[in-house]
Amino acid sequence: MTGFSGGIIEALPYLFAFFVGAMIPRRQGWAERVGIGVVGVLAVAFVMGLWPEAADAEATQAVTRADEWPQLLNVIVFLPIVGAVAILFAPRQNPKLLRAMTMGILAADFLISLGLLRANMTTGWHFQYVTEWLPTFGIRYHVAIDGISLWMVLLSTVTTPIAALVSFGSIKKRTKDLCFAMLLLHGGMLGAFVSLDLFLFYVFWELMLIPMVILIGVWGGVEKIKAAYKFLLFTMAGSVLMLAAILYMVWAHRQAAGFVTFDYLAMSNLVLPRTAATLCFIAFAFAFVVKVPMWPLHTWLPDAHVQAPTGGSIILAAVLLKLGTYGYVRFCMGMLGGPAYDRAATLAGVAVGGGILYGALCAWKQTDVKRLVAYSSVAHMGFVMLGLFAATTSGIKGALLTMINHGIATGALFLLVGVIYDRRHTRLVSEFGGLAKVMPVYAAVFVIVTMASIGVPGTNGFVGEFMVIVGTFVSSALGRHGSIQAVLATFGVILAAVYMLSVVQKMFFGPITNKRNENLPDMNVRETLAVAPLVALIFVLGLFPSLVLDTMDSSVAHVIDKYNSGRDSHRGNTIDELRLLNPSPKGDDPTSYDHNYPVPPKSDDDESANAASRPLSTAVALGQGVSRGVAR
Amino acid sequence: MDLVIALSPLLAVGFGGLMLMLAEAFGKPSEEGISKTTGDVVDAGAGRGAELGLGASVVLIAGAVMAVGVWIVGPETLEGVADVAPYLLIDRFSLFFTFVLCLGGAFTALLGGGYLPEHRIDRSEFFPLVLFSTFGAIALAMSGDLLSLFVGLETMSLGVYCLIGLRRGSARATEAALKYFLLGSFAAALTLFGAALLYGATGHTDLVGIGEAVATIGQPDSTVAAMPVLLALALTLAGLGFKVAAVPFHQWTPDAYEGAPTPATAFMAAVVKTAAFAILLRVLLVGFGEERLMSWGTGWPPVIATLAVLSMTVGNVVAGRQESVKRMLAYSSIAHAGVALVGVAATIRSTEDATASVLFYLLVYTVSTAGAFGALILCGSRGAEAVSYEDLAGIAKRHPAAALAFSLFLLSLAGFPPTAGFFGKLYVFQSAIDSELYVLVIIGLVNSLIGAYYYVRVMVYMYMREPVPGAPVAKPMSSGMVTSAIVLAALLVLGLGILPGVSLDMAIAAAARGG
Repeated sequence: MTGFSGGIIEALPYLFAFFVGAMIPRRQGWAERVGIGVVGVLAVAFVMGLWPEAADAEATQAVTRADEWPQLLNVIVFLPIVGAVAILFAPRQNPKLLRAMTMGILAADFLISLGLLRANMTTGWHFQYVTEWLPTFGIRYHVAIDGISLWMVLLSTVTTPIAALVSFGSIKKRTKDLCFAMLLLHGGMLGAFVSLDLFLFYVFWELMLIPMVILIGVWGGVEKIKAAYKFLLFTMAGSVLMLAAILYMVWAHRQAAGFVTFDYLAMSNLVLPRTAATLCFIAFAFAFVVKVPMWPLHTWLPDAHVQAPTGGSIILAAVLLKLGTYGYVRFCMGMLGGPAYDRAATLAGVAVGGGILYGALCAWKQTDVKRLVAYSSVAHMGFVMLGLFAATTSGIKGALLTMINHGIATGALFLLVGVIYDRRHTRLVSEFGGLAKVMPVYAAVFVIVTMASIGVPGTNGFVGEFMVIVGTFVSSALGRHGSIQAVLATFGVILAAVYMLSVVQKMFFGPITNKRNENLPDMNVRETLAVAPLVALIFVLGLFPSLVLDTMDSSVAHVIDKYNSGRDSHRGNTIDELRLLNPSPKGDDPTSYDHNYPVPPKSDDDESANAASRPLSTAVALGQGVSRGVAR
Repeated sequence: MDLVIALSPLLAVGFGGLMLMLAEAFGKPSEEGISKTTGDVVDAGAGRGAELGLGASVVLIAGAVMAVGVWIVGPETLEGVADVAPYLLIDRFSLFFTFVLCLGGAFTALLGGGYLPEHRIDRSEFFPLVLFSTFGAIALAMSGDLLSLFVGLETMSLGVYCLIGLRRGSARATEAALKYFLLGSFAAALTLFGAALLYGATGHTDLVGIGEAVATIGQPDSTVAAMPVLLALALTLAGLGFKVAAVPFHQWTPDAYEGAPTPATAFMAAVVKTAAFAILLRVLLVGFGEERLMSWGTGWPPVIATLAVLSMTVGNVVAGRQESVKRMLAYSSIAHAGVALVGVAATIRSTEDATASVLFYLLVYTVSTAGAFGALILCGSRGAEAVSYEDLAGIAKRHPAAALAFSLFLLSLAGFPPTAGFFGKLYVFQSAIDSELYVLVIIGLVNSLIGAYYYVRVMVYMYMREPVPGAPVAKPMSSGMVTSAIVLAALLVLGLGILPGVSLDMAIAAAARGG
């Protein structure tokens, strides 16, 4: 399989370039089309020739498991991105074709991503692909999944097609821009979930930003531009701080180890001076917490949700917020366990007070259903963060499960709110009442999803939040506050029932209070089709959570290991000591988690040693020509 | 013969300019009904902008290709190079700059070839002037002696003064040209005064000799007085700070940029700034590269750092308040000068990396800013020029390709991955962290947040707002030359962003083995 499909993959860029080139001329004959197509092929060949070669084939061979196809993640990530470029060359006048292309690409991406499930996620990294990108800077293209990112990838590939399906129902203008933004956003999110190189991660992290701004700003509501700016500036503020921290850590790693790299594993073995570690943690955590979002940085979320079109809200709630929590697990806990441990109790307090309780109370007071769901997101994400701060096995697992559940349930809620908005162009609770009589199917689905969101046993919401609360109770990171926080978080579950059930009661039951609601049509085929998989998943994950939980066992244990070793080394570290943890992480032991992790090449070993001692070298070099000339 | 090969980029541009001048003088004006006079002055070669622009861009691209050729041959292997030293230094450092300058000039020529006929200021002296000015810029970047430095500086500047005032009928253009001319002459005089002081204090005009003499200050048998040297350093910094448009020497920038025809603005932003940075680096590192002068306590780094912080902050904050896109781009060019100055300040410790980062940043900036001005040109046509934000409202609907290209260049200027601007900024900041200038990096990153606001604002207008009914809107023009310039710039922006490997290695080589 590898030989043949590998060959096809290698030829794909050329074919694609030829196709794109041939599509460009508008009214020319076939000769021009072929000619420009050939130019496209030459351009691709040029780029391929420029690509830094460092024995890619062997490097990848060495890190790949026998039964896994190494290109799979590349296909999953770049299919939407390449598709987005292809959309640019498709005719704007034919929205049907554009929609079909987008749906086809997203569906194909989903089907391909199912191939990830074939891996046996017992230990270590899977479907790794690694190649040199910028060897001079120690930047590699390195993608892989483990038991944590696997579910994030699947969550995105499931929800984005649903979001697209919904959007195509309600958005009729500027379809081309919509398809482009959706596909690019999808590719960016997937890329961020699978990158293991900090530079690559940052590139994908920023790649998502502009498509989302466009989704909110072009098809949003009345205040769309303000919401788009708010989203942009909040997220940007986080990411520039993260960039500063990344640059600092790369520099510190070079000081300690003598070579430049942006590699994740190398960074996680770095023990920074205490103050620097804390500052780096704050920078990373700020970037992620803004995205989550946690109080008091959550203010962009209600605006963005209310203004965004339904499809945008679904992606935002289901996947984009998860990037914040995923980033916290992977990078804050994995690389900066020490300061993460020090700050856990405080941050958990914020998560409980500002997230779970305050978010729930805000949700209760909302009159706009969509705003209500947005604030309920703040509350649910508070649970996720609480589980992560607790850093116990059940806390992290519960948090990860809650991430998936929240993606499904809140995505479904936004979808359902979009259904009623398309019919009435209002989302005010007071406008509705007794809808169950005119829209029985809609009401039934809404109630099921509400149950999942509240966390009724039997639906998926229950397991995750229960595990988080249990994990919080026994957490050592939270110390003696853990039990208080667990109890308060339980109140959050009750509050969720209060605000969700009261809105369901007001909207769906009782007499029909508004004449305009009397003849509303029930859900149509498109909407039913879109929500059906989410409802199915609610029950599947509610009844068989071990499907998900078992695969993440070893990955969660690995995160906790890293977290604990980070904590211990941070404690033992002095104020200005910079060192490496276990300086030779040799991956020969097949039982170790990272045994097949490709160790970054040592690019410029001795440079840091004498870099400081030659401030004049360039000056001398620059003047060499001159002195030679003078000497003559 | 070696010498001819080594000087080929410079000679090509110079001879090309002369040929183009002849072609313009003896060429027939176009037959089509456009005015062949401005007032009483007869415009020779009127209406031939497209042809001459194409010629000029071909010459400049040939210059760039020759620079690459000399690079591949290796300036070290050419014996004759020593004959023109120290007046013209032909090393990898200056070859890199020659390439960037020729590229910037070629963009200007292509844009001018489309812009001038469209806006009926089709007077063809524009193109020889671009060539001569680029010639001066290359000579400036190559110069290793105060004499050739001044000659190069003036050759470059004189051409630019005329380019700004090309629209003779417009009071605004005249004001801009006069402002730039007066302040520019003043700055040139400062530089010259600094050069005279240096010569008086050290007895040298070549930078290496100055560097060696400066190094003896404080030694018991030294004849060099410290005070004139420091004064000369301050004057030189002020003069060159004017050319790179660093705050507080930036006051001329917005008016000159706004009053000039847009291709000339692109030329000032790309070529003039790049050449000034080339000579700034050479003067500081060779002439004043002595250990004490390069230290944070007693030398120029704090001055450069202050200029960098001021330029970034003032440039970005004021750019965010502009209502005209052209003026916004002018202030943004000030902010970008600030970022490049961060790289210059970073040369104190990681000299090679920091120099390489400045070189790469200037390459990236040239491509992005030329592209951005090109997209601005493409978005407007005669009588419906794109100047203010409102002019661009909803243009994504009417001309999606132009809006997409403009967005790409803005994202690159704002430093979003995967465009070239991101990598340039990253490299500069990384080398600043290597030199432990954390505060500068933090200020720079906060500034890029402000920058993101106003760059995205253009996109907001293009994609998300509708024009107010009845308000004038920009109508995109159609010109093959402008389009090809934009396509070239867009390919470079994406190529340098995704695969910067080769150009980065070249920048590092240029910084490392200058000789």
